[in-house]
Amino acid sequence: MKVVLYVVKFEKDYEAFFSVAWEVDEVYWKNTACRMFRLSEQVPLGIAVSVCQYLKEQWTKGRSDIGGEKRTEPHSTSDGVEDLRKAVHLVCGKLGAPIPLRVEHVALGINEHSRGMEKMWSREGVRHIRGNSRHLEEVARLASVHLAGRSLLREEAVQLLSDVIPADDSASPLAALQLAALSGALQLTAAVAPKPVAPPQRGFRYWAERLRLARLRGPATSPRRSQELACRRCGSGQDKLRRTPCAACGQACAYCEACLTMGRSRECELLIIGVPLNTTSQPTQSATPTPEELTKRWGLSPAQSDAAVTALSFLNESRGNIRQESSSFLLWAVTGAGKTEMIFPLLEAVLSRGGRALVATPRRDVVLELAPRLAKAFPHYERTVLYGGSLDRWENGALTLATTHQLIRFQEAFDLVLIDELDAFPYHNDPVLHYAADKCRKKTGSTVLLSATPPQHMQRAASRRRLPCARVPVRYHRHPLPVPQRLVIPTVSELLRKSTIPAKLLKALQHSVQRGAQIFLFVPYVRQVEPFVKLLQRCAKSLSIQPETIAGTSSKDSNRTDKVSSFRDHSISLLVTTTILERGVTIPKSDVFILDAHNALFDSASLVQMAGRAGRSANDPFGFVFFGAPVWTKSQRGSVRQIRSMNSLASKHGYLKKKD
Amino acid sequence: MRVNINSWFASVKSACPICGRGSSQGSQSIPIPIKHPAPRQVMATLCGSCRQAIPWIAYPTCRICGRAERCEDCIRRQVRHFSISRCAVGYDKPMKDWLALYKYRGNEQLELVLAAMLAFAYERLCEAIQPDFHAITSVPLAPERLLDRGFNQAERLAIRLANWYGLSYSPMLERLRHTEKQSLKTRRSRVVDMRGNFAAVSTALFSPTIILVDDIYTTGSTLDECARVLQQANQIEAKTTVYGLLWARS
Repeated sequence: MKVVLYVVKFEKDYEAFFSVAWEVDEVYWKNTACRMFRLSEQVPLGIAVSVCQYLKEQWTKGRSDIGGEKRTEPHSTSDGVEDLRKAVHLVCGKLGAPIPLRVEHVALGINEHSRGMEKMWSREGVRHIRGNSRHLEEVARLASVHLAGRSLLREEAVQLLSDVIPADDSASPLAALQLAALSGALQLTAAVAPKPVAPPQRGFRYWAERLRLARLRGPATSPRRSQELACRRCGSGQDKLRRTPCAACGQACAYCEACLTMGRSRECELLIIGVPLNTTSQPTQSATPTPEELTKRWGLSPAQSDAAVTALSFLNESRGNIRQESSSFLLWAVTGAGKTEMIFPLLEAVLSRGGRALVATPRRDVVLELAPRLAKAFPHYERTVLYGGSLDRWENGALTLATTHQLIRFQEAFDLVLIDELDAFPYHNDPVLHYAADKCRKKTGSTVLLSATPPQHMQRAASRRRLPCARVPVRYHRHPLPVPQRLVIPTVSELLRKSTIPAKLLKALQHSVQRGAQIFLFVPYVRQVEPFVKLLQRCAKSLSIQPETIAGTSSKDSNRTDKVSSFRDHSISLLVTTTILERGVTIPKSDVFILDAHNALFDSASLVQMAGRAGRSANDPFGFVFFGAPVWTKSQRGSVRQIRSMNSLASKHGYLKKKD
Repeated sequence: MRVNINSWFASVKSACPICGRGSSQGSQSIPIPIKHPAPRQVMATLCGSCRQAIPWIAYPTCRICGRAERCEDCIRRQVRHFSISRCAVGYDKPMKDWLALYKYRGNEQLELVLAAMLAFAYERLCEAIQPDFHAITSVPLAPERLLDRGFNQAERLAIRLANWYGLSYSPMLERLRHTEKQSLKTRRSRVVDMRGNFAAVSTALFSPTIILVDDIYTTGSTLDECARVLQQANQIEAKTTVYGLLWARS
């Protein structure tokens, strides 16, 4: 979109603004400004943002120089008009747009409005605003309340306003947003804008920068401004941006490819950020509830309550102070440890304090499963459930449950951000989602990361005490995790080619069937699922189960949910599947067979997850896990080591049940 | 910062512009039915499964509109303003998704792929008639829609095609009315609604043969109306022949 670019002169200094609803600004500054001038033609939003930023830097620098060190050279010319012209010229030149902005045209079109010329303003427009000004103010106030902590594209914000504000056609949403922005409740910016560079804090760069500033004089001493664009919504840099000719601004403007699924963020698209520029954090005061009491209340096992206490004390000590690095906490709980129960005390601690809490998980089905449990645990708090296609899109509940993708629509909204299964697809290895999770936390807030298999670098950070961490090494039923056993058998593709099942595997399967367990059988590739099901069905007799009770499912299977539910109600006793079911599915009495465990698709994290399907219930805590592979690999060894170390940690702390 | 030295020596993996997965070796065996090297190169970036999914219309059954099946519309129609038209693909579910990805979601990376697919239709058109085209143009969008979307998909495709095959692109039409989305209307109302939607931009570039590009052919009413307007605007000279070139035929 295009906006009006204008400059306001106050008593002494100038300030540059852009406006998406010019009639609002025109009236707004009327009494405060000494002088005001605008470009007669609207300019693309991206350019306007850059120009405003540039002018702000120039003018503040000029001021500080005059006030402080008294440099001889005058930085700011007295005439703001000349400055504006220069800035527009500079920015347009720098962009190297294929359709250049005609600068002479711009220079010609500068209209000056001084106080005396007030009569020449379009009276109609002003009167129209005046008549509705009370109403518009009300809408703007509502908009700033509802948009607080959000970061929305124009279209989304307009939708939100039309949803939450009683239908009234007299106030245009853009005018309301502009008024809210002028009063400082919102920030309007371009969705793709130059990345603000923080000066390097340490290391070689820091010293290089300090030396550079010490040596040089003149304009070079100003901090380096990056010309690099970045998506303000998802944080993607230049490599994810694509520049295409845009009809809306008449320029080659960049759009972000990384967050395209959540609406298109581009250089000339308005982004509304519901965070005032200078946030004042009010000191939160509340009696810290004793952690022991809290954990008693939720009926946790000793291991769970120990971890919850550690996490709670982390939350309490971290509250209120702004830290850069150590604001996250890792809750490393083995599969089946009862993570959900553990988060309840944390959530309550924040909610009772009047804060906002977020539970984010990468997957939608987990959100749907968790929603009723949270509703039961926190019936008195307003809850919002967000996922692709959910109904309460624009609610601002105290407790928000969302898929990680939804987080890019928030900015500095939550006091506590809980990220469940941080190593699961799609959150794992997606810089966009990591950025979003970081962005949606308040500056004073903290993040708690939950995982059974945290990625390598986090494990290392935790062991070196760079990342505060609590481990839950035992399941809620207080039995050790089943340790995988090794089965040396040929690869799956070889088995399929020969269409035989080795005696070793068959024997193990028979044993599982005899003890009445259901069987998960994991294979690496989707294309192997169907043939392997056929192969097993041929051997069904020797396994003494019905061929119909052997089924397979994969990510390409359209009736996967049906199959999983029939696996749950025992009508399927052997399920061949891929990593798609490595987490989330809990079968009380089950054994796990992982074939081709040496395959590169199964890293040690996913091996641990798959092994974690066995022995989940208190009635059958000793399930069997088999790694079927011709060779023993690093990831298999790693996963076994991880399981063993958790078991030994559990016995060291005395969490394990005594054997009768 | 971790440095992965292995990555410096690894071959460059190009992700498929549509599904985003790395292209597999299997894609080499699927033939690309386009002669021009530039669009061929574009199509080669697609992964095997995406390339397999394209329902090319290699042999149109309807000689007029280029549909792969028998076409009742062309038989029923009494007056036709365009000469013939050719379409690249049938408009099935995957193609619908691709177009939505480009048109509505705004993934402009797909522009090249769709243009390359349109090149297939162009080559079929050249086979069907004597190729002596002078000009290529596209069906315009309403100004409001254009501002909303940021680009006119038909125009973009036409410009790409013009660059590859050495045609001269010029905008010849403008849209006067902002109509409801075509896909929400019935056949009858489409034909009636189209009337008076377009006007010719006064230009001296009119030539006896014009290729008109659009993304989808459903009933042909848009194409027919545009052809009518173009012919009307060019009455002074010899009769203009308008050929339709479309990406998909539903």
